[in-house]
Amino acid sequence: MNDLADKYADQEVGSIFLYTHEAHPGENYPHLTSMEQKFAHARDLRDKLGVNRPILVDALDGACHRAYGSMPNMTWIFNRTGKPLYKAAWTEYTSVENALQFFLDVAQRRKSGEPMVPFQVERLDYRLSDREGFYRGLERSGPKAVQEFKEMFGR
Amino acid sequence: MKASELQKQYNYDAFVPENVNRWINFDSSPPLGEQAPDFPLWNLEEKTTRLSNIWSQNLYTVVEFGSFT
Repeated sequence: MNDLADKYADQEVGSIFLYTHEAHPGENYPHLTSMEQKFAHARDLRDKLGVNRPILVDALDGACHRAYGSMPNMTWIFNRTGKPLYKAAWTEYTSVENALQFFLDVAQRRKSGEPMVPFQVERLDYRLSDREGFYRGLERSGPKAVQEFKEMFGR
Repeated sequence: MKASELQKQYNYDAFVPENVNRWINFDSSPPLGEQAPDFPLWNLEEKTTRLSNIWSQNLYTVVEFGSFT
């Protein structure tokens, strides 16, 4: 997603990462009990995992995250007036880019004077399942996170 | 629910169904095309901003939610 942010930054597309809560708390990254700890974990996201987009931290009670559905790794696209145009329960580069390209084209056509009007659409997108990569993420949190995931999903 | 209890339950200490599933409400999240709710957020310098300050800066803004874990 860093690459996506860089690719579209010069087309008036902003990108941020919004830090929520520890979905898989473990020995290395336990559940959050203070904002100081939350800032520290968010800085590690930048420093250790290389997230170079602006990182913004939600309140400790997850007020923003909860209001938007509480999915662990979702992505939303907003327009300049604060209307969401896209929401995905999971973050997937191709899906987000596909939506962005569509919306950028809409903006261009509006600029050209075409009378564009919105309509609702539902779509089921797909992503590659990267089980090994997911487990590497759990291992960064600690053995407890790995064990709890296996107990919940049995694999 | 008291604020302290809400914080504790949201920041659960174990990934088990009873801790996780209570928060999942994507199906009833804000609708597309309508004004979205605004919230205070903090940058890594611990200074306050708002989600509305972010989305107002560009034609479109991509917001990825997540954490280290």
